[in-house]
Amino acid sequence: MKKSNFLLGLAGALILISLIAWGYQVKNGLIVTNMRNSFSWGLYIATFAFFVGVAAGGLIVSSSVYLFNIEKLKPFTRIASLSAFASILGAGAMIFPDMGRVERVWNIFVYPNFKSPLVWDVIVISAYLLITFLSVYVQLLPDWKNEGSGFLNGWTKARSQAYVDAFSKKWSKRVALVGLPVAILIHTVTALIFATQESRGWWNTAVLPPDFVSVAVASGTALVLVIALIAVGKDQFDQYKGAFQTMALIVAGSLVVHFFFVSVDLIIHGWSGNPEGEEILSLIFGHYGYLYATELLLPAFTMIFFFTEKGKSSYKALMIGSLLLFIGVFAHRLMLMYPAFNAFPLSLSIPGAEIESWAYPVAIGQLQEGAPVFVNSWAYSPTLIEYAVALLPFGLVLFVVTAALKMYNFLPQKRGM
Amino acid sequence: MRLGMVIDLDRCIGCRSCAVACKSHNAQPPGTWWNRVFTPGASFHQAAVGKDGNLQMESLPVSCQMCDNPACQKVCPSGATYTDERGVVLIDYERCIGCRYCIAACPYGVRQYNWEDPKKAKARVGYEKGYDYGYPADFRDKDGKLVFTPNRPVGVVEKCTFCAQYTSRGEQPACVQGCPGKVRIFGDLDDPSSEVSKLIRKRPTVRLKEELGTSPKVFYLAPTKPIR
Repeated sequence: MKKSNFLLGLAGALILISLIAWGYQVKNGLIVTNMRNSFSWGLYIATFAFFVGVAAGGLIVSSSVYLFNIEKLKPFTRIASLSAFASILGAGAMIFPDMGRVERVWNIFVYPNFKSPLVWDVIVISAYLLITFLSVYVQLLPDWKNEGSGFLNGWTKARSQAYVDAFSKKWSKRVALVGLPVAILIHTVTALIFATQESRGWWNTAVLPPDFVSVAVASGTALVLVIALIAVGKDQFDQYKGAFQTMALIVAGSLVVHFFFVSVDLIIHGWSGNPEGEEILSLIFGHYGYLYATELLLPAFTMIFFFTEKGKSSYKALMIGSLLLFIGVFAHRLMLMYPAFNAFPLSLSIPGAEIESWAYPVAIGQLQEGAPVFVNSWAYSPTLIEYAVALLPFGLVLFVVTAALKMYNFLPQKRGM
Repeated sequence: MRLGMVIDLDRCIGCRSCAVACKSHNAQPPGTWWNRVFTPGASFHQAAVGKDGNLQMESLPVSCQMCDNPACQKVCPSGATYTDERGVVLIDYERCIGCRYCIAACPYGVRQYNWEDPKKAKARVGYEKGYDYGYPADFRDKDGKLVFTPNRPVGVVEKCTFCAQYTSRGEQPACVQGCPGKVRIFGDLDDPSSEVSKLIRKRPTVRLKEELGTSPKVFYLAPTKPIR
């Protein structure tokens, strides 16, 4: 109990810090970030994409129970749905501080442009938020009825416990089955925001949506794994070992698929030998080599580790593997931005001067002593304010998960095993 | 009507008068340039590029290419970016939510964001107080959309409007008026007898990043300087 109070306090502090920083940003404009015209999306969008990714876990785990009869995972369907709900809430919240005119966001609903992948994303993310909420709700109903707690459940008062149990069972399955395609869609559509843009060679590939799905299955399942480990505790680890190992295998297996996509993508970029492809390769392996190495090596380690007996058999090993994966996936999301924005789309080759690629400079949007007005590369690194604002989804996820685990029973005791 | 522009690269001397005229007429805040002129290949403007004494120097003015298939308009979630009945791609400053998706989508780097309140930016860099430059009034299109205002709201995207405040009443854009070399010709691409249509028929033209399928309405007359 003490631990959960500490975590709630921490979550509250994170949310408070981010709201204060956001307030400061609203007052001064996005000039307080290090984004500029030439590098117009940064930490906020990367963090958003990260949380969309980890939101996958919920319905992947629940639907594997129903679709593939993986009974071992059944005790964790509640935790899975909760992690999905919290993550998608965090992702949705992260978008708002990135808007220059957040008070006008309703314009998307009043004057939607259905050609824009951003509008599709608003639709599928809202749907997923609703579905994951319903998933948690229907699974908790029997307990609430039993204990006389919960909310939005006045209608169950007149029903019998058996009726509520049966209702919960039936609807948990239905929600999970409807939710699975929506879970796939949030990654597909979020990836399409980027992949549709012909101006950015790094994004403009049909492999991006399936790759987003594979990364989401890996990182989303890892988040369920971590929350489940914490909820179960070291002492009862052995009781649920089978479920943990299954989740570790899902993580490792989807990382194999991810690395397959990464490889074919790199081959396509590298094979043609054109200046655009070479620029991308020199950015990812040269200028942003360390970040790219983080993106590749940490998940690769987790993948191999989770396939070994040692890696998936202890509390500590599963925890370390998952945390390393999160860092790697976060680097992966940041690497969506760097090679895309710092390979300027308007590059020209100058015949006769033997210049193969020259980027037409862009005005950064700020006049400052000692800083250039026009640039053809922007060394983006988030400001302190940006880091503070980006704590919002971390605080929200921590708050929702901790509060829910504290208030309700998310780990049904096994009956008749 | 489909308004377009022809830019004669044979005549451009890279003086940047168009950029300055554009900037002041359209009251662009410090650090914002709707219209730019650079020397392709050179690390700074007006420096020749080449090898072994074979030097060359061209100037390339770039502003909004007024695409017929504009990536920026397609991605705009709230319909703030739109094409008017004259084929001009415009932004409604009162509808833009500031998501900057259009900046990522535009291959030409012409979209500019108001990272801070333009009034604050002007004061901070030391522009004289009370001195206001540019077209002094708001301009709304026939549907009442705000497509020009001297001090843009913070957090919205802006770009070249083909000087909507002037061209809507039959005048020329500021860059065309301000060009000392008569490099820029502005007119209706749908009218076969307009000067722009005639030039496009007569001379070889280039459009920037045509391979992306954006169908720009800005045509460059390729430089034909005899080199030998």
